[in-house]
Amino acid sequence: MTQKHEFEVAMTCEGCSGAVTRILNKLEDVKFEIDLPNRLVWIESDRDVAFLTDTLKKCGKEVKYNGAK
Amino acid sequence: IMPQKVNLCSVSLGVVGMTCGSCVQSIEQRIGSLPGVIRIKVSLEQNNATVIFDQSQHSPESLSEAIEDMGFESSLSDSST
Repeated sequence: MTQKHEFEVAMTCEGCSGAVTRILNKLEDVKFEIDLPNRLVWIESDRDVAFLTDTLKKCGKEVKYNGAK
Repeated sequence: IMPQKVNLCSVSLGVVGMTCGSCVQSIEQRIGSLPGVIRIKVSLEQNNATVIFDQSQHSPESLSEAIEDMGFESSLSDSST
């Protein structure tokens, strides 16, 4: 079953969230939502958390996993 | 002092998608910490990044890819050696 994961990413502006969007768009098998004011990213994917965390870290921001929601 | 056997090269890359100082900082930190990158200066106003790097470890293409990997659009605007 596809899980919905919540990540906290240290995004400060639209440029940051835009970067996260472009990174996630490159993965074909994920659905995601970004809440910039609360610095949250929700990802629906079959991929494991370690892979998703590493992917998010590519944008150079701090990433914290908040658990499956 | 022995001359160092490194082939330094400077390149200017276009970077699209940065909107604030935080974007600039994360690019400077991440790209600047890549092995073979000597110096990087990112300009928010000019939408570009100037990188001084060791040619044996990087190429303008690989640096541009590294920036794209971070979620910004990057182009090889003009290169000067």
